[in-house]
Amino acid sequence: MSPRLHHLVALALLGARIAPATGAAQTAPNATLRSAQLAYDNLEYRQALSLARGALRERLTGAERARAYELLGFTYGAMDSILKAVDAFKEVVLIDPERQLDPNRVSPKAYSAFAVALGQVLLVRQLHVDSVSFVGGQGAVPVRFTVTQPARVTTRAIGTPGTFVIDSGAWNGQVNLRWPARLPTGDPVPPGTYTLVVDARLGQNTFSASQPIRLTLGRVDTLPAITSLPGYQFLPQTEITPQSWRPVGLAFLYTGGALVGTLGLESSSLGSSSKRELGIVGGAALVTGFAMMLRKPGVRPAAANILYNQLLREQIARRNQDIAKENVTRRREVQVTVTPLPKGTPGAVR
Amino acid sequence: MRWAAVLLAALTPGAAAGQAVLVGPELALANYREVASGLRYNGTGFGGSASVRRGKLSAEAAIARLTFDPASGSGATAGFKATQVDAWVAYDVAAYASVEVGVLHRSVTPEFDATSVGAVRVGVRSFSEIGPGATMVFRANYLAAPKFSSGGRAAVSLDLGIGLDVRLLGRLHGTAVYAFERMNRKVNPGGTGEIDAPIQQTRARVGLALAF
Repeated sequence: MSPRLHHLVALALLGARIAPATGAAQTAPNATLRSAQLAYDNLEYRQALSLARGALRERLTGAERARAYELLGFTYGAMDSILKAVDAFKEVVLIDPERQLDPNRVSPKAYSAFAVALGQVLLVRQLHVDSVSFVGGQGAVPVRFTVTQPARVTTRAIGTPGTFVIDSGAWNGQVNLRWPARLPTGDPVPPGTYTLVVDARLGQNTFSASQPIRLTLGRVDTLPAITSLPGYQFLPQTEITPQSWRPVGLAFLYTGGALVGTLGLESSSLGSSSKRELGIVGGAALVTGFAMMLRKPGVRPAAANILYNQLLREQIARRNQDIAKENVTRRREVQVTVTPLPKGTPGAVR
Repeated sequence: MRWAAVLLAALTPGAAAGQAVLVGPELALANYREVASGLRYNGTGFGGSASVRRGKLSAEAAIARLTFDPASGSGATAGFKATQVDAWVAYDVAAYASVEVGVLHRSVTPEFDATSVGAVRVGVRSFSEIGPGATMVFRANYLAAPKFSSGGRAAVSLDLGIGLDVRLLGRLHGTAVYAFERMNRKVNPGGTGEIDAPIQQTRARVGLALAF
């Protein structure tokens, strides 16, 4: 394979991987830009360059302008003009700072040129404020953004109720901040619509990004009193008496004890004593024992269950006391809720 | 008799307000033997008993009037009447056991047809509930310092028995008590040397009682 053919194959492969460019031509309203996209798709890079530059001389929207520079960047990348590709991508991110390239769908050359371009321009990108709700003083609003160059970064919440500095420091790369939304007195900041503004300054270069948010204050939910403990249930306080041999057994035991004692203590000189008396009383005891044994089972208090239930009730009462104390505290607290708003929301400070 | 009077006075409702009191009449049966196997009597009679409980402390007293007649084959030629009084005061030392002290007194008329006796009781009592409202008792007493109307002494004298108390209906209880009494009496007639003159009695009391 000749070097020229090799180069053409490489360019073809590179062009095939630039999926974001493919198809975009069909939606580009500017005719010149659409022609440039078609030329790029057909691997006619010189023509694509010429058409893209021509489109930039025309009246374009911001998105079209960014798309034209992006097309230039991809084309220069495909033509190994990396420096020019970087310059083109710098223009892209200056127009659209949130522009992202998918590393799985663009060529490594174009992606690395885009990354280099990002490092050469001061930008604040990917500013995100998460929806969050917390008890005042016990949480914070997470704020994330990326600074593309080392810079002095000031983050503020600007709103009708006032302006509050969230953070000021030297940052580079991914930045994670936490805003407790509290005043120096410890009170929560007043409710309202704020704009979170991130200002980055590097020498004479400055860049700002913003995100509107709504901050509301509410009452903290109180805890309901409990009537049971999870996993613990009250037990029945009575139990059915089981039928047993115990009554007749005890009657036999007592009567037998009396008989043995009588036989053992009898005087030999007086002869065997009368058993009539023991027979009457012992018989009555045995009959009573049998009657008790055959008696229909009755209900009796279950002492262990009663004690267990008492302990459980004490635990529940103790827990409810704790809940009541907790609720007293909660009624003094404020629930802070922060919701990010779409950019351009009325009321947000721009 | 003085002992019995004191105990009965202690069992009156006024003195024992709020206590569980059980009082009722009894039918008594007895067999009495003295000195030798040929001298034996069978007796029947009536009596009554009372008991009271307050916490761990309880007291019980019983009195019976018995008429003894010579048993078949007995060498005795005439019967006699006896009045026996028993009294106990007990203290629960466990859920099923008490220690108790008391007295025994049996007087006989005519005076010389049998032996009157008095003694102090010291012993233990075990009790168990054999069913709802039914309680059985086993009792063993040592009869200390017995005094006999016909003289003599008894170093070893024992009394043991069982008792049954069943709640029949509401406040009405049925009671049955068995007691075996053995006194190893020795006498020394005319200073010629001690000879055995034991006394042995079995007794049953069956009755009804009201709980207050």
